Amino acid sequence: MNKFLKKLINYKWASVFLILAISFAFFMIMKKNTRMETDLDKYMPEQHPAFVYSNKAEEWFNIKDGIIIAIENRNGIYNTGTFKKIKDITKALQKMKEIEKDDVTSLYTADNIIGTEEGMDVKPFFKKLPKDEESLKKIQQNVRNNEMIFERLVSADEKVTVIIAEIGDDTFSQEFYHRILKMAREFEGPEKLYVAGRPIVEGTMAYLGPRDMKRMVPIVILVIVMVLLLLLKSFKAMIFTMLVVLFSTVWTFGLMATLKIPIYAVSTMIPVMLIAIGVADGIHLYSHLHLYMKEHPLASKKEAISDMIHGMWKPVVMTSITTAVGFISLITSQVYPIKYFGLFTAFGVLIAMVFSLVLIPAGLMLLGIPNWKKKSKNESTDTKKRFSFRFSQWIIKYKYLTIILTIVIIAVSLLGIGKVWINSSFLEKFEKDSDIVITDQFINKHFGGTSSLNVILDSKKHDAFKNPDILNLMDKMQNDVEKLKIVGNSFSLADYLKRMNKVMHADKEKYNTIPDSKNLNAQYLLLYEMSGDPENLWKVVNYNYQKANLLIQLKSDNSKAINSAIDIIKKYIPEFKKLDVSINYAGSGYKGLVFTDLILEGQILSLVLSLFIVVILLSIMFKKISIGFIASIPIIITAIISFGIMGLLNIPLSTTTALLSSIAIGIGIDYAVHFIERYKIYAGETGDKIKTSELTMLHSGRAIVFNALVIIAGFLVLLFSVFPPNRALGALVSLNMFTSFVGTISIMYLILYRSNIYFKKEKKGGLK
Amino acid sequence: MTMKKIKILTLVLFLFSIFTFAQVKPDGLEIIKKVYNRPTGDDQTANLTMTLTDSRGNKRIREIKQLLKENKNIEKKIMFFVSPADVRNTSFMSWSYTKEGKDDDQWIYLPALKRVKRISSDSKSDYFMGSDFTYDDLGDRQPSADNHKFLYMKKLDNEECFVIESKPKEEEYMYSRTITWIIKDKWIGKKKEFYDEDGDLLKILTVKKYKKISEFWIILYSEMKNVQKKHSTEMFLKDVKINTEIQERQFTERMMKRGI
Repeated sequence: MNKFLKKLINYKWASVFLILAISFAFFMIMKKNTRMETDLDKYMPEQHPAFVYSNKAEEWFNIKDGIIIAIENRNGIYNTGTFKKIKDITKALQKMKEIEKDDVTSLYTADNIIGTEEGMDVKPFFKKLPKDEESLKKIQQNVRNNEMIFERLVSADEKVTVIIAEIGDDTFSQEFYHRILKMAREFEGPEKLYVAGRPIVEGTMAYLGPRDMKRMVPIVILVIVMVLLLLLKSFKAMIFTMLVVLFSTVWTFGLMATLKIPIYAVSTMIPVMLIAIGVADGIHLYSHLHLYMKEHPLASKKEAISDMIHGMWKPVVMTSITTAVGFISLITSQVYPIKYFGLFTAFGVLIAMVFSLVLIPAGLMLLGIPNWKKKSKNESTDTKKRFSFRFSQWIIKYKYLTIILTIVIIAVSLLGIGKVWINSSFLEKFEKDSDIVITDQFINKHFGGTSSLNVILDSKKHDAFKNPDILNLMDKMQNDVEKLKIVGNSFSLADYLKRMNKVMHADKEKYNTIPDSKNLNAQYLLLYEMSGDPENLWKVVNYNYQKANLLIQLKSDNSKAINSAIDIIKKYIPEFKKLDVSINYAGSGYKGLVFTDLILEGQILSLVLSLFIVVILLSIMFKKISIGFIASIPIIITAIISFGIMGLLNIPLSTTTALLSSIAIGIGIDYAVHFIERYKIYAGETGDKIKTSELTMLHSGRAIVFNALVIIAGFLVLLFSVFPPNRALGALVSLNMFTSFVGTISIMYLILYRSNIYFKKEKKGGLK
Repeated sequence: MTMKKIKILTLVLFLFSIFTFAQVKPDGLEIIKKVYNRPTGDDQTANLTMTLTDSRGNKRIREIKQLLKENKNIEKKIMFFVSPADVRNTSFMSWSYTKEGKDDDQWIYLPALKRVKRISSDSKSDYFMGSDFTYDDLGDRQPSADNHKFLYMKKLDNEECFVIESKPKEEEYMYSRTITWIIKDKWIGKKKEFYDEDGDLLKILTVKKYKKISEFWIILYSEMKNVQKKHSTEMFLKDVKINTEIQERQFTERMMKRGI
């Protein structure tokens, strides 16, 4: 390897040309083939049983996500103008090709079933626009009397009404999203319009996410360029280091495009990752070169480059491989976008390694070694020297303090880990004062909730859901769930039957119950089919009354909210089982929950796996199992602190922050590798523990500090993201880099020092 | 000339034109009126089997015994559910009036509730018993509610048919237009296509079997397919008896309660 690389220096033109040519080819493919995946269903593992069931249930009951358009009139909705808007918007939605006509629900489409002394009246609330006070008053009265409408389509204060348009997952597009928002804007004034619902939240994210990353990349590049200039003190060095990461990014996306793999939301993080991580190799190479030049000011270009390759190829390869392992471990995930993210980032890291070892030496050969100014250097080098020497002694001297501090930090973090929670919320990925969150809160304040959970009840017997026992238990469960603050409403076949019973008893409240007779239930349902809109019925029960769908409306889509509802439902499972009814869940909120659990499960697995592989790899590389374990100390501590902080600061694990552990392990291990490699070399050269420590601290410590600084600076750029989870990720990766770095030069160094590895012979010699 | 005379004259001319293959274009409204006014006897009893099929092929079968009696002002109808068992003896009565603009009277009797209730519904576009037929589709729609236009003659299942396009006079009717194939001489609608408000094909009605019973043409088997929802309804009439002198008193709340 060493020899091969050194030979390659002579083919500098060829290697530069080859890399440029391939980069250009990849760039062209990328331009032509790159495709962004916006359909969120494609992110889900379709073969997972929970998803298979949910998809089936969605088909049985035509479960779709709803776009909610709320119309607010501060003076109340009962006036001709607002009613015209209700009608016009309803019709406009029904005309859209993405929306089926029957999937739009509003005061205009809803049927009003009223009980009278002699019978039953089925009428729409209005067909022709109500023009006079009297007809408006009548509609108002009808709405107030109908519990299936009041507080569901019209708010309690009668200032807001909603129109709900359900759409299929596959019909949602960016263009449609913008069309809906544009339409809503056109109907504004004097009424205020709000557009919410899961499709809108997902649409906003699919729209803002890539834009956010597009904005982030130039800032990351700029920051890294500045940091590199500051650290490497050479324009040439900066340029070649940057070229390495830019080419590796182009190759990565070019490969993705060649394999026809679309860009998922997580993949948009790859450039930031590669840019921040890829420069590490360059820093170590230049750093070594810089030191060598200082010590051998008269060395020729080729000698210096040969020494750089000789001294650094091993740690560069080792650190790149361990970083790649951290990312590759993500393929254990059941979620394809994360698998791809891991795989392609790993590819990018490895290709950046190759470029670093080929392009940087070639560049040095072509453009010459940077002119590091020598003036006033000695002084600062001395202070640096003194500082790193003193630091290495200080750690040894106050070893108990170091150990106790480490233990205290770990203990506090462990406390925090217990508080870590997973969040599948889409909404909480947005800023608290963003339009979408404010709209959501507005609708949640006035209505049942913008998020939903479908509880699917399944019996083996036909007509089971005409049975009063089952229906009553369903009703009881609904009442129980509705007691939760987070639950706004629930809706099931039981509601229809209660309503029919009340209507057939002249609207008397005491008959707002489920009839005791199975036949009466059947007859009510027949009556509803005859007079109402039977399509509505098929949303809560299936054709042969064997399966039922209970819809729970929640005021939040976060995992805690969904789980609190599920916890209550779980208590009813044994009772339902006695009646031969089983319970399952469906809908996008539930799928999101399962999805997040899967991601977390995958994360824990990949965390353990990558740790395991890294320990083995390092044991092999250093030919000592003990080194494998010692090297893993900083990253284990880092992982513990990272999760601890998340728990303590109430940062939930989400699809974004879950990627953290692999990144932390993959990058964090680098410091230990560099440190131990240097320690080993100096131990061999000097044979003296104190001297080895001091030199390692000076040489490797410096490169590690630089490396940590670059990555921290790069990831801190994510703080400019509009998405809070991205900001959390940026802050946490930066923190992780810092803890790995500190852990390496403190506790790991201490253990390495005390273990006497690499000094066994000398010690024995000393004893003689 | 009085209106009546004009009408008679038009009719004569119209019939004449058909028989002589003259160039006079048949009048759509007259043809539709012929269908609407086709005599089907003064009363009828029959057993109706209604099969509802959803898009996944699930079927539900309802058996109904029905009685109807018609005079020039009013059509009275009573239906008893025979099966499924849990709705047996549920009965439904409707009185529809020939007079334009007068809403139907409807009653329902639920045996489990033991009470007759009046149902009032504004809309003729409601679906009949959860089927794909609206009350209008079942023949209740007044010919004068639409503008009719004769399109052409066409052979369908070996029957010479008038093809008529009808467009509603009122705004916001559930269909933007319908096209009806009407069998010449028999005045039976053989096939009808319904187009929704956006002009897309919504439903297709096909009459699959009709028979002359006691001198009257009676539709025995028809199928309505909702092509958008992929839902369909088949209606079979069996044991049809016509003019058996059903009494007016058969159509009362008391009879509804008595059951089959």
